[in-house]
Amino acid sequence: MELTARAPRRLFARFPWGALLLTCAIAGLGVWNLASASRTVQVNLWMSQLLWLAGGLAAVLLLALVDYRHFRSLAFPLYVGVLGLLVFVARYGRTVMGARRWLDLGPLHIQPSELAKLAVLVVLARHFDEHPPPKGGNRLRQLLVPFALTLVPAVLVLKQPDLGTALIVAAVGLTLCVFAGIRTPTLAILAAIGVAGAAGAWQHGLKGYQKKRIETFLDPDGDALGAGYHANQSMIAVGSGRLAGKGWGKGTQTQLSFLPEQHTDFIFSVWAEEHGFVWCTLLVLLYLTLIVWALWVAGAARDRFGSYLAAGVAGLVFWHVFINIGMVTGLLPVVGVTLPLMSYGGSSLLTVLLAVGLVLNVQMRRVG
Amino acid sequence: MSELLKQRASSRDLWTRLTVFGVLAGLGCLVLIGRLYRLQMSLGREYYERSVNNFVKEQKIPADRGLLIDRRGEVLADSRPSFDLYLTPYFCGKSCDEVVGRMSAWLGLDAETSSRVRSRLAQARGLVRFKPFLVAVDIGRDAVDVFEAHKSELDGVDMVPTPHRNYRRGTLAGHLLGYLSEVGPEELATLQTAGKDYHEGDYIGRRGVERAFEPVLRGVDGAERVVADAKGRRLPDRSGLIPPQDRIRLPRPGNNVVLSIDARLQKVADESFPGKAGAVVALDPRTGFILALVSRPELDPNLLTGRVSRAQLAALAADPYKPELFRPLQGQYHPGSTFKAVTALAGLQHHVITPESHTVCNGGYTLGRRRWRCWKDGGHGDVDLHRAIVHSCDTFFYWVGDHLGLDAIAETARAMGLGKPAGIGLDNENPGVIPDVAYHDRVTPGGYQKGFALNAAIGQGDVNVTPLQLAMLYAAIGNGGTLYRPQVVRRIEDPEGTTLKTFAPVVRAKLPIEPQNLAAVVAGLTGVVDEPGGTAYSHRLKDVTVAGKTGTAAVVAYGADLHAKLDYWRNDHGWFAAFAPATDPEIAVVVLNEHAGHGGSAAAPTAMAVIQAYFDDKKSDEAAHAAPPPRPALPAAEPRAAPEPEKKRELGTRAPSAWPATESATVSPIPSPAKRVRESATVAPRPAPWS
Repeated sequence: MELTARAPRRLFARFPWGALLLTCAIAGLGVWNLASASRTVQVNLWMSQLLWLAGGLAAVLLLALVDYRHFRSLAFPLYVGVLGLLVFVARYGRTVMGARRWLDLGPLHIQPSELAKLAVLVVLARHFDEHPPPKGGNRLRQLLVPFALTLVPAVLVLKQPDLGTALIVAAVGLTLCVFAGIRTPTLAILAAIGVAGAAGAWQHGLKGYQKKRIETFLDPDGDALGAGYHANQSMIAVGSGRLAGKGWGKGTQTQLSFLPEQHTDFIFSVWAEEHGFVWCTLLVLLYLTLIVWALWVAGAARDRFGSYLAAGVAGLVFWHVFINIGMVTGLLPVVGVTLPLMSYGGSSLLTVLLAVGLVLNVQMRRVG
Repeated sequence: MSELLKQRASSRDLWTRLTVFGVLAGLGCLVLIGRLYRLQMSLGREYYERSVNNFVKEQKIPADRGLLIDRRGEVLADSRPSFDLYLTPYFCGKSCDEVVGRMSAWLGLDAETSSRVRSRLAQARGLVRFKPFLVAVDIGRDAVDVFEAHKSELDGVDMVPTPHRNYRRGTLAGHLLGYLSEVGPEELATLQTAGKDYHEGDYIGRRGVERAFEPVLRGVDGAERVVADAKGRRLPDRSGLIPPQDRIRLPRPGNNVVLSIDARLQKVADESFPGKAGAVVALDPRTGFILALVSRPELDPNLLTGRVSRAQLAALAADPYKPELFRPLQGQYHPGSTFKAVTALAGLQHHVITPESHTVCNGGYTLGRRRWRCWKDGGHGDVDLHRAIVHSCDTFFYWVGDHLGLDAIAETARAMGLGKPAGIGLDNENPGVIPDVAYHDRVTPGGYQKGFALNAAIGQGDVNVTPLQLAMLYAAIGNGGTLYRPQVVRRIEDPEGTTLKTFAPVVRAKLPIEPQNLAAVVAGLTGVVDEPGGTAYSHRLKDVTVAGKTGTAAVVAYGADLHAKLDYWRNDHGWFAAFAPATDPEIAVVVLNEHAGHGGSAAAPTAMAVIQAYFDDKKSDEAAHAAPPPRPALPAAEPRAAPEPEKKRELGTRAPSAWPATESATVSPIPSPAKRVRESATVAPRPAPWS
């Protein structure tokens, strides 16, 4: 591991400041947006978010000092540790609004489910690195272990219950499975199993409110003041932003509390209402840039482990952005998925920053 | 070497896959942008309007209801500010139970109300939880202070200002004025289908003038458009979200109704009535306008307007004296001897008798095998028409009835307005019953018998009249034969006091009776009060000649000697019907005292007190006008200028001769102020909890 011995100055000569700037730009817009969204609650949420951002960036820079290949050997201990936390939180966690998701660490409240996304990412990267697929791609048999590695934490998160995060964990796992190489017939079989599994989950696995959300998604006006209320109000907020938005702090949906969860899952409605179509498109393009950058790093990585890490992060960001904005604009049912770098919440912000940090790390240590 | 090739191949493969993933991510983002385009660009205007509808709440500004004013300008009913309490289940959440407890402890809710509130809370599910419901109407001033002090501990409780109807004179003329109550759900649907502007929680006139003149009295509510957040809380509109010209629509108050009632006379009639149950009707025989209308037991319109509890309503319904009955028009009674005037006129008109006809009363009249007793067992001896009326001899009228037959009596009675509603236009008037042969054949087992005419001749049998009908009839006898329709409203004014409509006297009929026949009966009626031995002689007035007739309507047929021993419900009704002065009368009065015995003692004193008060008032009014107060240059501009203390008038005064003058359709003798000082009940609007 000679690279770790390199002097930090040389190391940071290769540091991708552009990517970090992009990340900071999105997070900065997020804080600004949050300052508007939290005007009604009389609490300076954006300050707290700013502190988390600063802490997260510090963690990223520290992380950059450690060669990502160390995480290869740390993958399993990390994974098992996160599983342990998930089990622990299921028994002793703090319950907020009916879900047991939170772990109290003194003044900090951590959601281990956020860490589960990273743990699955790292452990699968190592698994596929150790077991490269045969020519033509993996068969179902070779995918059993990766599936297990994905599903165990996903199910634990689902039981909290946190459908959104469980979906993300599963999506990241699947993305990596596909990215590592998969035979086309196998993919078809998986798709079939997926449809059957969704039907089964509908029958047995989902909670009443989760079903209700999906029902209202399929028929949003059926219950405009009940379960469909959130989706409806969010669409009104987004649509009423029109081309140029109502202006910072002037979104009536936001400032008059018509939006549900406007600091967290529905933060994009605030952005859309106050800044309009132009800035929404810009934000989506910023995310796309981040994703493409991660994919490029995956291609340029010095080893397969690094490629998998970077590609996994690209998948993580993509699924977060796609599901969140899709849900806020009424394209997808309402599930609790945050918008990376924009939604309020320390755990969520830290997770995304660490994920970005991983990609930075891989890029710094690429060959050539 | 092959290792390197392999690596290159896998690298190429990797880039291919990355490109595919990149393109997929790009497509995903394109989908999102497309969706945003649809919502924000294609449907943007529509969503923008929906977002405006979200925060703009229309809040009602209730209009003041029109005033009820007596003929001299005294306000009998107006609106005053009051506060109602509403509770929204969603906003008290888990602490609802404690909130209800605090409300009953601090704001004095009774047990019935708090249990009703609790059950309502328990039933509230889903969206209903967001809907405020009424907890208490018109809480007292102390409760308002307590509420303001403890607002923060009463989650979900809202105090909403509402104009509340205020009947200034309490129970005075309660039946006549009527009362208000909230529109029921079905009624609301009917009203709205008919295109009427009523909404949940609105009040509507229930009885009396309030009901009959509902469309006149009701104003048009205004509205205020305010900014409200998702929980319906009103917020200050700092950034001008609602344009100023769209913010407020002022309410339009209802029009005032000026009654023909004189509150002074009404009070005298009310206070001089001695019985538990009964009626007093006083009216102007020259026009048919009612001067006083008493129904006992009284109703309290202030209580019934919103604040009545279920227990109180049940008590009202169960009260054996039936306070809800508007006796002057809804109660029907045997007219007893007051009907003898009708029988006498029927006899004269049908030429069965002349004023000189006479018969001998030996204490009764025999028809077939039955004997009809006169109230005076010893008999009246030789009686002519005059003596028969003055002494109320039954035997004479049995004799007349026997020769007339029932149909002839009924014909005259109907011509005088009996047997059908008098047409006052309030509530449901009782038509009364005037039996004829066909009637008995229809309803009486065994059919008509000759003796029924004898019973009818003295106002017994199946003859039933309302006090109002009898009053109109006596007024017609007194005024020379014009039967008027009774009316209680003289004028309608707009809120500023400008007359919009004046009601003219309405003639129902001219009595088909020759003047000399009327004169003969009037002479008899005058004798009742004026001649020694007349049944009301002891109650005669010093200055005024009164013509009248006592009546004692048997409820249960017993001998006269038994009556003293009967309990209340079996005792006779006492009647007195009169007009004064006997020639050219200005007032007609009917008093009915239920189960009070003889009309001479139970009813006549009240009638005499009313007549006396009428002429006393008239004299003092004339004196006041003889020395008129300085006339303001612009009487219209100063509504309360120069009030005359002894009259409690609210209004300015006019030319001395104007009051009291003969009423006529076109000249209104009552001064009509341009602006009536109105105690506005419209309070500064507050956020309604449902907005």
